[in-house]
Amino acid sequence: MSARLKAPLGALTLDNPFVNASGTYGYAVEYADFVDVARLGGVSVKGISLEPRPGNAPPRTAETAAGMLNSIGLANIGIEAFVRDTMPRLRELGVTVIANTFATSIEDFVELAKRFDDVEGIAALELNISCPNVHAGGMHFGVSGEAAGEVTSAVREVTSLPLMVKLSPEAGDICEVARAVEAAGADVITMINTIRGMVIDVDRRRPMLGQKMGGMSGPALKPLAVRMLYEVYQQVSIPIIGMGGIGSLRDSLEFFMAGAAAVQVGTANYAEPGISLRLADELDAWLAERDLALTDIIGVAQD
Amino acid sequence: MKYLRTRITEVLTPAPNYKLLRFAGDEPIPARPGEFVMVRGEWGVHPVLPRAFSLVECGEFGSIIVKPIGEGTELLAGMEVGDVLTVFGPLGKGYDMDNAGRRPILVAGGVGVAPLLYLAREFHDAGTRSVFIYGGRTEDDLPLSEEIAEVADLVVTTENGARGEKGRVTAPLTRLLEEDNNAIVYSCGPDGMLHAVSDASQAVGVPCQLALEAPMACGMGTCKGCAVMGTDGTYKYVCYDGPVFEAADIFEAAS
Ligand SMILES: Cc1cc2nc3c(=O)[nH]c(=O)nc-3n(C[C@H](O)[C@H](O)[C@H](O)COP(=O)(O)OP(=O)(O)OC[C@H]3O[C@@H](n4cnc5c(N)ncnc54)[C@H](O)[C@@H]3O)c2cc1C
Ligand SMILES: Cc1cc2nc3c(=O)[nH]c(=O)nc-3n(C[C@H](O)[C@H](O)[C@H](O)COP(=O)(O)O)c2cc1C
Ligand code: FES
Repeated sequence: MSARLKAPLGALTLDNPFVNASGTYGYAVEYADFVDVARLGGVSVKGISLEPRPGNAPPRTAETAAGMLNSIGLANIGIEAFVRDTMPRLRELGVTVIANTFATSIEDFVELAKRFDDVEGIAALELNISCPNVHAGGMHFGVSGEAAGEVTSAVREVTSLPLMVKLSPEAGDICEVARAVEAAGADVITMINTIRGMVIDVDRRRPMLGQKMGGMSGPALKPLAVRMLYEVYQQVSIPIIGMGGIGSLRDSLEFFMAGAAAVQVGTANYAEPGISLRLADELDAWLAERDLALTDIIGVAQD
Repeated sequence: MKYLRTRITEVLTPAPNYKLLRFAGDEPIPARPGEFVMVRGEWGVHPVLPRAFSLVECGEFGSIIVKPIGEGTELLAGMEVGDVLTVFGPLGKGYDMDNAGRRPILVAGGVGVAPLLYLAREFHDAGTRSVFIYGGRTEDDLPLSEEIAEVADLVVTTENGARGEKGRVTAPLTRLLEEDNNAIVYSCGPDGMLHAVSDASQAVGVPCQLALEAPMACGMGTCKGCAVMGTDGTYKYVCYDGPVFEAADIFEAAS
């Protein structure tokens, strides 16, 4: 990867700005046979919890106009199996690993962070705060600045890893949440997670998904994601990783120009499992043609 | 596993509402019967996900049979020679051909013919004679039956009686199993048919392998989207634990 693609994110610099989004690329090892996973800007692995989780009742996915819903239910192998079985392989492959974690209490987020702190080969920790807080009547951490700030500062105290906090588009005021996690010590903001939607199966006269609702992702999400990123960029000084519906070079350029220092690619991986590498090459050519580096275009669409 | 950009080389219409697409890329996708591929045309951002198809043939070219039932399959059925088809595979676990001396009985409905025609050809090439029970609603729902007759003993059923035996596949299946239960059943087709085939086989203690369908995103075990509940109370993933399962692992025996 050429130097013009380098994506500085505070203490961490990615070789290129295309990271695969959590939940859309498994643990990355599954792709190693046919994708050069070490060349990816990074991989945010499937959300990891303290205990393994079996996931939700099916059906778990439904397609929508230029997008999809998922209610996977954060099925994952749990931190113990991940650290013991998957991390050695990821280290061997040389993948830039972002450990995406989620929990339903601050104590569990803290416990996860502590356990990741001395695991070799983790580039950053990413908190998925779009989860219900069982101690706050099930209200999810991502909806208010207060709750998001609280979990961020608790984790900040116990981790020496670069700390990314992933914002939810369901926040009452996403700028307030962004400011709160910055003040609480986050190094990077990643945004956005999915927003809940529903599809009705008109033949069965019931919601299509087993859980009724599911998180919407894919191209349909992009204008919402770009707008939120554009606003948040004006409110914080830490770097932002943008995502939501990226599937082409031009899509990613929108995010960079709105202010993203790097991006994540999610749903588009399903149609083309090596898409991030193709986009990195295309961005490289685009920048070279204009004699620019990635850092020259970040936020240029701002006033 | 490979991700290939292929071109459509041939489009056939094996029955009024079915298309057989042949495609070729730089290299073949070596798949066993029952294994599948995720395919997508270059149609922009919608529909965003690829679609799962069993391979009918694989070699210097591959082929899939498409029955249009929604947007994605309509787009695929409308593809023409020269169009780009991205193909990702081979994926999943196919049929176990080790029949341990038992007579293979293949039971297909609709597009379930795809993996089973491939399987019948493999048994034929291995010198094993198989019975192929093929059910359709009408005589228009039996694509590729001539090809089947070349490699297996074909038994046809139609619900309207226009061709073969009137009724469903379960009647000849039950009869054959009663005559001789030194058999092994392989099936693919609509859900109701799979249930009935599972019941008929489990009732006489005959091993039975079924290929399932489920909505998929990744097709390779990473998204956890294609879950089905197994009889042991744990989720199975159709794309990598299957799509072919032992019937008893998915369906309780009828009581
Ligand atoms: C392992 C496997 C092998 C298959 N082999 C064949 C084959 O050989 N020939 C063939 O014609 N069809 C086959 N199918 C079914 C085929 O994948 C669906 O018909 C197709 O995905 C429907 O897409 P659509 O856009 O036309 O339908 P829509 O109803 O518009 O699709 C909406 C969404 O639901 C999903 N979906 C709908 N029906 C099914 C289904 N039955 N199975 C899985 N996902 C579904 C779609 O992929 C899409 O994401 C197979 C499915 C699986 C899982
Ligand atoms: C099937 C699926 C599973 C996901 N699982 C997670 C997860 O475990 N943790 C998380 O933070 N985000 C998860 N996401 C959200 C994505 O990481 C991403 O934020 C979102 O899909 C928007 O990006 P996209 O439009 O490019 O897919 C998931 C998304 C999908 C489609
Ligand atoms: S389709 Fe993704 S796990 Fe099966």
